[in-house]
Amino acid sequence: MKTIVEAKQLKKVYGNSGTVFTALDGIDLTIREGEFVGIMGPSGAGKSTLLNVLATIDEVSSGEVTIDGENLLKMNEEDLSAFRRNKLGFIFQDYNLLDTLTVKENILLPLALAKVTTAALERRVIEVADKFGISNLLEKYPYQISGGQKQRTAASRSIIAKPSLILADEPTGALDSKSATDLLETLKELSEEDKATILLVTHDAFAASYCQRVIFIKDGRLFTELVKGNYSRKEFFQKILDVLAAIGGGVNDAL
Amino acid sequence: MTLFDLAKKNVTGNFRSYLLYFLSMIFSVVIYYTFVSFQYSPEVQMGIESSNSLLNIFIGASVILILFVAVFIFYSNSFFTKKRKKEVGLYSLLGMRKKTIGKMLFYENLIMSAAAIVIGIIFGTFLSKLFTMLLLRLLDSAVEVGFGISPEAIINTFIVFLIITLCTSFNAYRLIYRFKLIELFQAEKEGEQAPKASLVPALLAILLIGFSYWLGFQSSSSDLELLLILGLYLVSIVLGTYLLFRFLTIYLLRFAQKRKSSYYRGINIIGISQLLYRINGNARSLTIIALLSAVTISAISVGYSFYYTNEVQAEKDSPFSYAYISSDKEIDSQLDKVITSDSLHPVIGQTEIPVLNVVGEVSNPLLQDYLEEGPVKLVSESTYNKALEILNLDGSVNLSGTEAVGIQPLLTEYSSADYEGHTVTLKTPGSEEKIRFTTMAEDRIIPWSYPDFSVIISDELFKDLAKQLTPIPIASYEVEDEKTTKETFDELNKLTEEGTQLSSYYETYRRGLETAGLNLFVLGFLSLVFLAATGSVIYFKQLTEAHEDKGRYEILHKIGVSKKETSATIRMQTLFVFGLPLIIGMVHGAVILKMCSNIFSALIGTNLTVPIAISVSGYIIIYLFYYLLTINSVKKIVMK
Repeated sequence: MKTIVEAKQLKKVYGNSGTVFTALDGIDLTIREGEFVGIMGPSGAGKSTLLNVLATIDEVSSGEVTIDGENLLKMNEEDLSAFRRNKLGFIFQDYNLLDTLTVKENILLPLALAKVTTAALERRVIEVADKFGISNLLEKYPYQISGGQKQRTAASRSIIAKPSLILADEPTGALDSKSATDLLETLKELSEEDKATILLVTHDAFAASYCQRVIFIKDGRLFTELVKGNYSRKEFFQKILDVLAAIGGGVNDAL
Repeated sequence: MTLFDLAKKNVTGNFRSYLLYFLSMIFSVVIYYTFVSFQYSPEVQMGIESSNSLLNIFIGASVILILFVAVFIFYSNSFFTKKRKKEVGLYSLLGMRKKTIGKMLFYENLIMSAAAIVIGIIFGTFLSKLFTMLLLRLLDSAVEVGFGISPEAIINTFIVFLIITLCTSFNAYRLIYRFKLIELFQAEKEGEQAPKASLVPALLAILLIGFSYWLGFQSSSSDLELLLILGLYLVSIVLGTYLLFRFLTIYLLRFAQKRKSSYYRGINIIGISQLLYRINGNARSLTIIALLSAVTISAISVGYSFYYTNEVQAEKDSPFSYAYISSDKEIDSQLDKVITSDSLHPVIGQTEIPVLNVVGEVSNPLLQDYLEEGPVKLVSESTYNKALEILNLDGSVNLSGTEAVGIQPLLTEYSSADYEGHTVTLKTPGSEEKIRFTTMAEDRIIPWSYPDFSVIISDELFKDLAKQLTPIPIASYEVEDEKTTKETFDELNKLTEEGTQLSSYYETYRRGLETAGLNLFVLGFLSLVFLAATGSVIYFKQLTEAHEDKGRYEILHKIGVSKKETSATIRMQTLFVFGLPLIIGMVHGAVILKMCSNIFSALIGTNLTVPIAISVSGYIIIYLFYYLLTINSVKKIVMK
């Protein structure tokens, strides 16, 4: 199967000579097409930095990152914007929807930016909205819908352009358990049925238990990795909790 | 710690976040005070007493300025309050009593406003001095307008801003009562309702504006009626413009949204939806910008028209820089020496124009009425052509026999048709000569005196007539930079006697400038004040909005909108905010101009296309500068 993400020896150092903080300390990461990978770790472990690097909104100090065959370090600002638009989909904890646009317009934004024809774009919106069960909300504005609906809108936006990689940053962080479960189920379906590649950064062991593989990082280094394999989701959840207990700090954060 | 102390600490502690609000308050005070202190200066007061048109200008201008100040401050205040809802919610959450919070906000606003008024008045004093100096320089101190610190202006400013401050302070006091705690915490998240298009107010907008234009062309018989018309005019144009921006623009944007193929293409979707989302807040400021632009454009245009007309009239009245009747060889040579030794104004050319004054009778009754008993002033073809050459004018004539060309008398609107084919019977002591007009020429060459009936005749005929009558020789000089020949003119004046009839371009130009001086000064001053007001309202508005939009642009950046596209959408949105009111303002301005040109007698009958075109282009250039400045600042805020 095709490799989507290939990161080698990622290092990220903040600050200058006086006070240096190493956020990433030689991380290697490989993600294949159709994988649903979770990243966990205590606060300050470097999860967000890693995500930002993969999202191309932060630069590494050293190392190599290739996403879908393209070397991120060799791209300029303009290329990176185009890359984000065409190859990446984002789901954020605080939704990041534009309050000036309707749900429909929010979803189709990436396609509009890519200048897809109106007919194709309308068809695709209906298709995606259907998948996330928000077809009846299309004409509403973000402030008129609930948090769960907002997150499903954001998720619809993230997949509409069929990106190579979907990056989800604590997507269930602000959701109630029912909405969270719905969203996670849909993401899982996406990876299983549509071969979507998803990288999920989370504190929440429950959310991580939906992944096929969970990578734990601590102090900017790879701590360990769990593969779901043939375990049931419940067993996998328990294993994740065990690792978090071993790392320390993570369980408390997971509430 | 008393409540007052806490409020004071709030202001001083968070000064940075207060700065924008504070600055916009200071700006309003500066602009208003500058205007009022000008209005109360003794020269202007005297002018107002003696001229109704000036009074009208001041009434209209102060209404628009007060409107500007009120809207501007309320806008900044509501933006500022919105930013602080969370803080207020936190105080409440921590158990501070509502009344206490309300009072605190009240005091806070009061302190800031008081400071803004004081600072504003100080800066306003400087600004009015600066504007005055600028204008006096431009007018070459043809007018005398002194500027002291005027108590009336301070009181006026104080009262106006006290009212506004009390309103905004009360508004701040009520903040905690108007909202539930939860709403205060969600302040930044709350969405504004997307506006709906509605037909009735949109039609009303067109109706009101049409009505105001109609009113603009009504003449009045009494002062009371004039005031009534002016009042109605102001109300309908302000309201109409507001409705226009509030409702008609929604149609425009909704229409753009309906055209899916372009709306769903690239960043249009972002720009259009953002503009639509903002219409409610925008309508007020767009109205203000349009009205300010209208006033500025008409003030600049009328002011410059005075200036321009004066120049053109002076050029016609005294075609040559200096002209005098040469009679005495000795005086002539003295005068010649003075003129030619002025190294700052080198002589471009000089000539002697012999003029024959002959009694005559014109066959066209219209012209005969003008001429009455006065003499016909005859110049020869070759003299005329030579004078034109020196003055660098086209339109030389070529005559033979009894052919003649009439020169258009100053301050008349006679045309070639009034001359063509008509004859003049010249009565010399010995004979009578009939000459026939072939056409009319527009360029004059001898100084004006009444009746201004000059005729060009052929060289042969002139020579014949000169045998019977003695021509009066007019020595004429054209020099460079003729507007500034004060010293030379004064010197010449000392040398000449009554009979020499010295005339100079400088003197004529100067006299005109002094007559139109106050009007010119008032209009110039008004345009500067309004220009500053327009610029600040646009600039501050776009800046505050940019701060609000920051989050949206961050989201867009994350989902892959490039810097280039972000710049493009900022340019497009800013263009909308700048362009629409400019167009409306120009149309309004054109109507105001039409009204003004009927009010000011000096402007009747002159072609104002050139000065208006220059003024409007000048305004657009300055406006363009604001536009670029705004885009630049917005980009800096949004893209970091």
